[in-house]
Amino acid sequence: MDPKGLAYLGAGIGAGLAIIGGGAGIGRLAAAALEGIARQPNAVADIRGAMIVAAGLIEGATFFALIVTILLAIK
Amino acid sequence: MSALLLALLLQATPAPTATPAAETTPTPAAESASPAPEHPAAEAEGHAAGAATPASPEAHAPEAGGHAAAEGAEHAERPADIIFHHVMDGPMFGGAVKSKHLLYLFLVALLVIAIAQLSVRSYRGGHVPKGLGAAVESLVLFIRDEVAEPNIGHGEGGKWTPLLCSFFFFILMAALIGLLPFSATTTGNISVTLGLAAISFAAQQWAGISKYGLAGHFHNLVPPGMPVLLLPIMIPVEILGMFTKPFALTIRLFANMLAGHMVITTLLLLISLMGQLHWLAGAAMTPISIVLAVFIMLLELLVAFIQAYIFTLLTAIFIGMYAHPAH
Repeated sequence: MDPKGLAYLGAGIGAGLAIIGGGAGIGRLAAAALEGIARQPNAVADIRGAMIVAAGLIEGATFFALIVTILLAIK
Repeated sequence: MSALLLALLLQATPAPTATPAAETTPTPAAESASPAPEHPAAEAEGHAAGAATPASPEAHAPEAGGHAAAEGAEHAERPADIIFHHVMDGPMFGGAVKSKHLLYLFLVALLVIAIAQLSVRSYRGGHVPKGLGAAVESLVLFIRDEVAEPNIGHGEGGKWTPLLCSFFFFILMAALIGLLPFSATTTGNISVTLGLAAISFAAQQWAGISKYGLAGHFHNLVPPGMPVLLLPIMIPVEILGMFTKPFALTIRLFANMLAGHMVITTLLLLISLMGQLHWLAGAAMTPISIVLAVFIMLLELLVAFIQAYIFTLLTAIFIGMYAHPAH
């Protein structure tokens, strides 16, 4: 098989897996945050701030994976 | 970018006088060999026909005859090349400007300085600020009261507010300017975000060193009461963590700015890719692509604010971490 094709295949599968992980992480985070807001509506500002930071960290990890797949696709 | 899209569309629908092979094969070679001199013409063309791009499949396609068009376009640039041409650094104005990201870096910096000067001017003479001054004031107050003070410490946050405001307004302005047609997102270049993160790194270390001294700062990295046996593990981990923080800031901002533009380009490229199959497919794809691209564009507006906020907030948190180590 063409090694270049394998690299493209790996990049595509890798991007998909990274998005699954990131989506699941941020989804769980949002679910927990919404639950917290529903229980404590007056803590909404604190929860939102903490949620955005955590989402940013999850997103950062996801982007590491995506950069690797992009490098795989363009090399 | 739209000029390249247009070029691809035109290649997919060759003029009836020339054979497809003769018409299309020299173009990619010429484009890849000397991209710089072609730019003014291509950009002017793209400017004029930018609005007409979605309509061109209908306009040209009846002469194309489907199969010949698809064959001719196979020699064109790969989609990935077009996407990366759009997001990567390159010359502008026909080579007059060597690096468009550098140009926009200075443009954004000047714009931020101008906005700051204008909004400060409305304070002179003890007036209550109006218009721009009031708008900027609300953001500056937000950064001081919601970002700096709670995360760096009450009373200490004010010292770091100017730096955090610079980060916030620069990143926000760079992302917003990058959404304008024919412009470039300077924070979509990893060197620019690395520079920003280096400033953030220096600020974090300075926050610790200025407060506790050099030795005290490094001593603070290890939490007190740590068993001596754990020290060989903890010290490398903490030093690694010191450099991971700015690295994560770099990648996060870079990838966020890059990703939106790549998605928009890909969505618009779908039109010409479908048009190569059949002109009807291209015509049917056009409204879908445009609606999705507009949606991503609006999402980019949101992302511009969120990323500016996250970069500022994380910098503030890291500064607070070194200014108030675990006791």
